[in-house]
Amino acid sequence: MFEFLFNYPLAVYRKGTLVFSSGWPLALLALALVVLAAAVAILFFRHRLPRKRALLLGAIEWSVLAVLLLLLWQPALSVSVLKPQQNVVAVVVDTSQSMALEDRYREARSLFENRLASDLRKRFPLRLYQAGEAPTRIEQLPAEPSARRTDLGAALRQIASESSLMPVGAVVLLTDGADNGGNLGADTIEALRRARIPVHAIGFGSERMASDIEILDADLPARALPSSRLMLAATLRQSGFRGKTARLTVREGERVLGQKDLRLPADGESWRETLPLNAGNAGVKTLEISVQPLEGETNTRNNRVERLVDVRDRKPRILYIEGEPRWEMKFIRRAVEEDSQLDLASLVRTTENRFYRQGIRSPQELERGFPSAVEELFAFQALIIGNVEAGYFTPVQQNLIREFADRRGGGVLFLGGRAALADGGWQRSAAAEMLPVTLPDRKGTFRREPATVELTRAGAESLILRLEDDPEKNAARWKALPYLADYQMTGEPKPGATVLAEAIPGVRLRHPLLVTQNYGRGRVALLATGGTWRWQMALDARDQSHETFWQQLLRWLAGTVEERVTLTTTRQTLFSEEPAVIRAEVRDRNYLPAPGAVVSVHLMGPGGVSETIELAPARGEPGVYEARWRAPRPGAYLAEATAREGLEELGRDTATFRREDGSQEFFRTEQNRELLERLALQTGGRYYRPADAGSLVKEIELSEAGITVRETRPVWNAPAAFLLLAGLKTAGWLVRRRWGAV
Amino acid sequence: MAVTVSFPQASAILKPTGGIYMHMRRPVAVLMAACLFAASLFAFQRGYGNIRRLFPEVDDETPPPGAQEKTEFYFARLRYPNVRATGIWAMRGSWTVDYPKADRQFLQGLLRLTRIHANPMERVVDLISDEIFDYPFVYVVEPGHWDLPDAQAKKLREFIDRGGFLMTDDFHGTFEWELFTASLNKAFADRPIVDIEDDDPVFHVLYDLNDRVQVPGIVNYPFQKTYEYDGIEPKWRAWRDPKGRIAIAICFNMDQGDAWEWADNPHYPEKYASQAYRTAINYILYAMTH
Repeated sequence: MFEFLFNYPLAVYRKGTLVFSSGWPLALLALALVVLAAAVAILFFRHRLPRKRALLLGAIEWSVLAVLLLLLWQPALSVSVLKPQQNVVAVVVDTSQSMALEDRYREARSLFENRLASDLRKRFPLRLYQAGEAPTRIEQLPAEPSARRTDLGAALRQIASESSLMPVGAVVLLTDGADNGGNLGADTIEALRRARIPVHAIGFGSERMASDIEILDADLPARALPSSRLMLAATLRQSGFRGKTARLTVREGERVLGQKDLRLPADGESWRETLPLNAGNAGVKTLEISVQPLEGETNTRNNRVERLVDVRDRKPRILYIEGEPRWEMKFIRRAVEEDSQLDLASLVRTTENRFYRQGIRSPQELERGFPSAVEELFAFQALIIGNVEAGYFTPVQQNLIREFADRRGGGVLFLGGRAALADGGWQRSAAAEMLPVTLPDRKGTFRREPATVELTRAGAESLILRLEDDPEKNAARWKALPYLADYQMTGEPKPGATVLAEAIPGVRLRHPLLVTQNYGRGRVALLATGGTWRWQMALDARDQSHETFWQQLLRWLAGTVEERVTLTTTRQTLFSEEPAVIRAEVRDRNYLPAPGAVVSVHLMGPGGVSETIELAPARGEPGVYEARWRAPRPGAYLAEATAREGLEELGRDTATFRREDGSQEFFRTEQNRELLERLALQTGGRYYRPADAGSLVKEIELSEAGITVRETRPVWNAPAAFLLLAGLKTAGWLVRRRWGAV
Repeated sequence: MAVTVSFPQASAILKPTGGIYMHMRRPVAVLMAACLFAASLFAFQRGYGNIRRLFPEVDDETPPPGAQEKTEFYFARLRYPNVRATGIWAMRGSWTVDYPKADRQFLQGLLRLTRIHANPMERVVDLISDEIFDYPFVYVVEPGHWDLPDAQAKKLREFIDRGGFLMTDDFHGTFEWELFTASLNKAFADRPIVDIEDDDPVFHVLYDLNDRVQVPGIVNYPFQKTYEYDGIEPKWRAWRDPKGRIAIAICFNMDQGDAWEWADNPHYPEKYASQAYRTAINYILYAMTH
């Protein structure tokens, strides 16, 4: 309709510039309009008409004459159009596996072969590309979409670079927009804009899948100690099954590690589910996380993901110092003795000048008390500072305690006590900064009075405080625990700290009890009591609440502490031939970055893959080394890194990752219209639904890329102009008739 | 204490001469036995009275200064039912032996010699209520006279299984051992009682107690003999938990309680008092670290 009334499509008016073809000066037009206005005014006011009527009729008549004058000046649109047959149009068709859903590919192929190709070829030479794992120029579309990845960005970048060799007028992209190649970023858009190539995107597929449950993400720690409690955090989305129930399962091979029934929420919304698991024995575990498909699901391949967990048979060492004998130490030691993956060395001041050492590896270890040397202290993975005043430690030791978390990356736990925290002067110590609370500057904060424990919301989610797998049972169990023998007032938690539990000594009284935070490369926790031993003595001997709590707290504290060499891959799962970025962080014996190390990585994989590569120093990151490596085939891979400085071996570490082919094509498969619209808008193109693709050719003609010619298209002869004139005259007649003048 | 008295004239009197002397034999024998008994009793009373004179009982139960303070450690004494009580113990019970002076004197030493934040006043617990679970260290004196009902034995076992520590003291000889184990075995028969080796951590946690002597009670004054009944050899024994930790420390054929009680008495040898303090301090430190 627009084109009928205005002679040209809207795009011409958007892209064109208004000009007047008569060649007469515009100033003359303006003057003529003014003179006309004056003449009409004199004419109408002389007739002694009421003022308003005169004004109205005068305006109508003046408008008619003004439009006629404008048309005399011959208005036109100056617009840049592609020269026919001198500009290439690149047609990019998405041939990835996601296009197989809902017959998207069949529809795209039909649109192209039966309509678009012929329409475009009338004006432009075509170049056909398929976008999948890598862009490829083709003569004919494949029968089926089989690419295991969608890398639209790579295809568009290729075309942008080819435009320097030939005039590319536009890109027509036929896709569902489910890009997972990771290359459709700002730099690709910028390359297209520099080449002034508009991208016209035709989107296929539903914008929301009608009946589908999808696992968007599944988060598990990459490393764990044997028999650790892990927490799976799965993000899911569903449509079409609101209110129904589905089962989330985690398996290792045939063995079910955890299961949970999910009540599906509103359509289209993503939500998060957690599920506690046990890490089991040592080894690299491939865990399958799946949601049971429901009847009628359009895509069941996105109901399942796999994750690797490296369960390492490590035994982190914890150093525990107490300023005086107390029951808490006894029962903490007993709890740790039940855990084969924790090793506790302890020092307790029995008299003013004597220590009792336990858990030491040799008679010489800790014989001078708490370490003052970096190497001796940093040999541990975690520290527990019990009821000992800050003044007991020298300034060097206080700094070391802080550096233990900050530089070494270890875990530090502060307990409550009559000489601990504020009562021990820690607020004025060198370690004050690392505490997750701001201690009050006064004494008398420690109280030997009973207090019960209540979990905060964060605590209810935390693995440290998970005595039962079921959240409700867990909360009930914590509520039923005996009271603590004592508690300590800690002050306010610092920003970034998390309060997991509170001590409640009385009605309307509550204080932070367990507070955690990350500090530097490590982590710090504060447990403002020395009285959890009552949980052991006041409950049946078979009850494991006390043991479980302490084992989980200490595993959290020490279980993920890294050593001098830490090997990681930026992604645990590689899709198709995407390269793995292998990184090693190397520290010297003082846990400072080691910029002069030589790092080699031995890679092993399926089918006998075995290769050793050297990592190069990462720019701007001292002590960090990295390399890119392509996994030759799908499967699980093991990387073993060794770092040396001269003849000295600084350390070793391992990392695991896997290559999967094609699976990502079945996730986030709904049409990504937002991406396509944004791509089109930012490059000067347009987004089309398949049904609207008919106007695509005309839109392409108006591209400013490639070889163009400037055209002047007259608009004075548009039907809209004559309709306007007729309309104005009719309006004048109607008004006169109303007033009885005709 | 036994005293032997001889009556040489008796043999002459009892020499059979026939006739009238034959039917006087029985009354004379009874008379002699009565005299013998009276003499022994006199000797005993005189000896015991001497001991009591040198070691006068002072049963002052007034709370000492600082008793109201809430502390980390309490010395908890176990109150238990007796087997058979005789004399004054029938009214008080064997569990009260040395109470409370021994406890308080010991605590003074504990406070002075260690960093344990201890309360200067003892506490008394039993195996009837659940209060015992608030005191992970419990001392029991004269368990050779205890007679634990099944329920109390079971509670004691639960106390130990949860992590409690029991120190037994002041029982002697075969007879008292059997009475002790009769009650203990109601709940602890699954694991044996063993001698504590010299290199066990309990003998080295603070003091090195390689050279240990038998600590006598005051009944052995003047301590030329240090044992009672047939308890000649002192035995430091233990009942260990499944992890091998000492859970019940058994001080058999010795009397630490008397040593603490009379440590301030010049008639009680210092070497015994010192060892008694050191032993118990070691046991307490062991209990608080294992």
